Amino acid sequence: MSWSLNEIDSLARKATRGAGYSWGLAEEAGRATRWLCAMGLPGADCLAGVLAQTDGVAYDALCPDGSEGAWTASGGTLCPLITGAAICDNAATIADGREVVLQKTFYPLLLYPFVAVASDMTGTALSLSWGPCRLTRCEGISHLNAEAPALHDSCDSATIRCASDTPGTVVRRAWRGGISDEAQRILSALAHRTYAPDTPESRMAGAGAGLTDND
Amino acid sequence: MQHQAPASRVIAPRPPSTVMKLARMGSFHQSRISFMRTLLRRLRSQDWTFSRPRFDIDDNGVGVAVYTAHGPERAYSLVAFANDLPPEKRSDRVIATEWDATFALYDGIPTDDDITRLSQNVPLQEAGRVSDRELSLSRANRSVRLWEHVVDALSRGQQPDAGKVRDVGYLMRTTAVYGSGKFGAADREQSDTREECRGPFQVEMLSVYLTRAFVMDLVEHMARLRSPGTAVPLDPALRRRFGIGNSTGLGMAPFLINHPVLLNHWICAREEALARVRSLPTASTEEAASFRNIAARARLHAEDWTSEHPLQIARLAELRADMAALETHLQAADITTDFPWNRLWTWAEDSCSLEGQEQIASLLMEPYGHLVDGLTSCMAADEHLSFRIDGAMPVAELRRITEDVYDWALDIDWDAREPNARVWYVSEEKLEPRLGERFEDPIEPYEQPLCPGRDAARMHIDLVRAPDGPVAAFLLGHPEHRHIARRAQIAARYEYAEIRDNTIGAAMLPIDLLRAKLSFFGACHFDPRSDRWVRINMFQHAPFPHELATGNVDDWTYPPLEDGPRPEAAS
Repeated sequence: MSWSLNEIDSLARKATRGAGYSWGLAEEAGRATRWLCAMGLPGADCLAGVLAQTDGVAYDALCPDGSEGAWTASGGTLCPLITGAAICDNAATIADGREVVLQKTFYPLLLYPFVAVASDMTGTALSLSWGPCRLTRCEGISHLNAEAPALHDSCDSATIRCASDTPGTVVRRAWRGGISDEAQRILSALAHRTYAPDTPESRMAGAGAGLTDND
Repeated sequence: MQHQAPASRVIAPRPPSTVMKLARMGSFHQSRISFMRTLLRRLRSQDWTFSRPRFDIDDNGVGVAVYTAHGPERAYSLVAFANDLPPEKRSDRVIATEWDATFALYDGIPTDDDITRLSQNVPLQEAGRVSDRELSLSRANRSVRLWEHVVDALSRGQQPDAGKVRDVGYLMRTTAVYGSGKFGAADREQSDTREECRGPFQVEMLSVYLTRAFVMDLVEHMARLRSPGTAVPLDPALRRRFGIGNSTGLGMAPFLINHPVLLNHWICAREEALARVRSLPTASTEEAASFRNIAARARLHAEDWTSEHPLQIARLAELRADMAALETHLQAADITTDFPWNRLWTWAEDSCSLEGQEQIASLLMEPYGHLVDGLTSCMAADEHLSFRIDGAMPVAELRRITEDVYDWALDIDWDAREPNARVWYVSEEKLEPRLGERFEDPIEPYEQPLCPGRDAARMHIDLVRAPDGPVAAFLLGHPEHRHIARRAQIAARYEYAEIRDNTIGAAMLPIDLLRAKLSFFGACHFDPRSDRWVRINMFQHAPFPHELATGNVDDWTYPPLEDGPRPEAAS
């Protein structure tokens, strides 16, 4: 099924909230997932993978700590949503030349939209690399050096740094997104947690109608 | 958006602390910069043409019709499916599953295969699926009060009763118009680089405008089928008195909170327009006459506007009194010299209710299209850009912004019941926004982030305690404030982005949010059915597509004076 990007954004935001993240981070997840889908990459599947791992895990266990150099999470694996938001928030210092090294991170592809936004905000070319994969953002254009970097469910190390070249091919804009059946099942179930069960009273009162419409 | 104010604009726009109050926003009226009017001005200036390539509706009123608008570069088609709906199934609420008519706005000219595909999905609305070839999805129900009367009268060769037409104002009301990616439709970003789609809700307004044409054709068609030998079409002048209704519930209410930059741009354009007119040192006699004329017509408009809701009945009484007072004031007032419109505005602020003040704000723009209409190009927003948080901002600066934008909220005791009485949530059944009582229903765990004042106050407590440093570090330690920190930074850049009022208090009226938005659409005759549900009329008095080339394209929103201009308006 072909999804509109708004549908994907909305589902991702609700699912992230349903998995226990704050609304502010859920909004970031929606935008990031949409961004990857607009690159023709399986953003929603990545998000489903992350949330399946982090559902119910305390924020502090997933949150990056960079006090001793490389960013690590006390729970052992970094969440790309929390880490990505922190990368974006630190865009200026990264653009000034500070290299960020991440230790083990879930679904590193989900970091890329945040790196891209950090690049766009600062006007500085930035790259994200892990293993054989490298994505580079330069002057508002994304470059990808691997066929399918997508579904690495984690990486042992990832690096975000200023980029001096743009290897690979330019990513073409996609206008629709796809979600696998399994990811849709996971995301929908999590999103469902944000919906309040209806009662007879809420059906009438909540929307505020109840008058006849046959007039 | 930063408007470049002309050097002659000596009066500053009203501050957000005045404008962004729910009671005032809930008193807004349509104006020159409303989206319906922008649409019709464009259709006319670009010489759009219209065709009806298909109209296959049977004796029971069931079938399909296609209305195509041909622009300079592209065409857009309303594909309409008419239904024979049993009365017991007719409901305006989002829980309905069948409607009198359903619609999609197709991006181009649909093939027969497209229409077949749409016929299998559009009548199902939310339960169906459309594609990126469709720009909007909508539905409408008949006004039972008026439909049968009009079909009956026309079929007997008579015109319907003008009083009944005035009382209702439309033959069908839309009950949802979904755009931008909903139910599989094309995302807005797929079309928003097109000149005709760039402005807010231009696609949806075109869909509604064509829907009105379809509804009028349909009622005449049904009268002909009932009595082919005697039926007559509607008299063209009476025909224009039919708008297209709309019934809107809570689903729309969060929109203005969820789109702060867009809200800023809309309000900013309106306030800039008002400030420009107030800054005029003089007015010509023609401009003065034009204002007197439109004020007289606005008085008729207020008299035609009915509601059964106690709140609106009281406000309509105030508005009518204000319009009468304005007419009296204009008989003696000098409105040509010494900053006439600013003096008039000051009079309105001193003399009129909020309804009257905001009506006069809209009226003041009417004679000044050359000062006002261009502002419509500033009313769209790139919300992706404003989404980014400035993590390098010092915590002290975020605190200063919070104290500036949300000063009204920091004084509220958010642990008290009254200011914290409501919860915005999404219902499991219909996936639509709802409003519940925090201390009566177990809904707090499902709360949506639609209470910026309270959230800002909570963030402020932690900002006061936070060590010096960048916002990045503060938010890493306080992810619960990320949403409101983003809003605060947006509001610091865009002064009208944030409603300066409590959106979860016991006394909050969701219809204020609905009306503010619908007034920017260009809606009239707000008729609340409860504190969270409102009916409106759209495109009433507007020329139909076939009349656009020769009709009155930008002076239709207030009813014509029945007997020509009144004596005092003919100066």
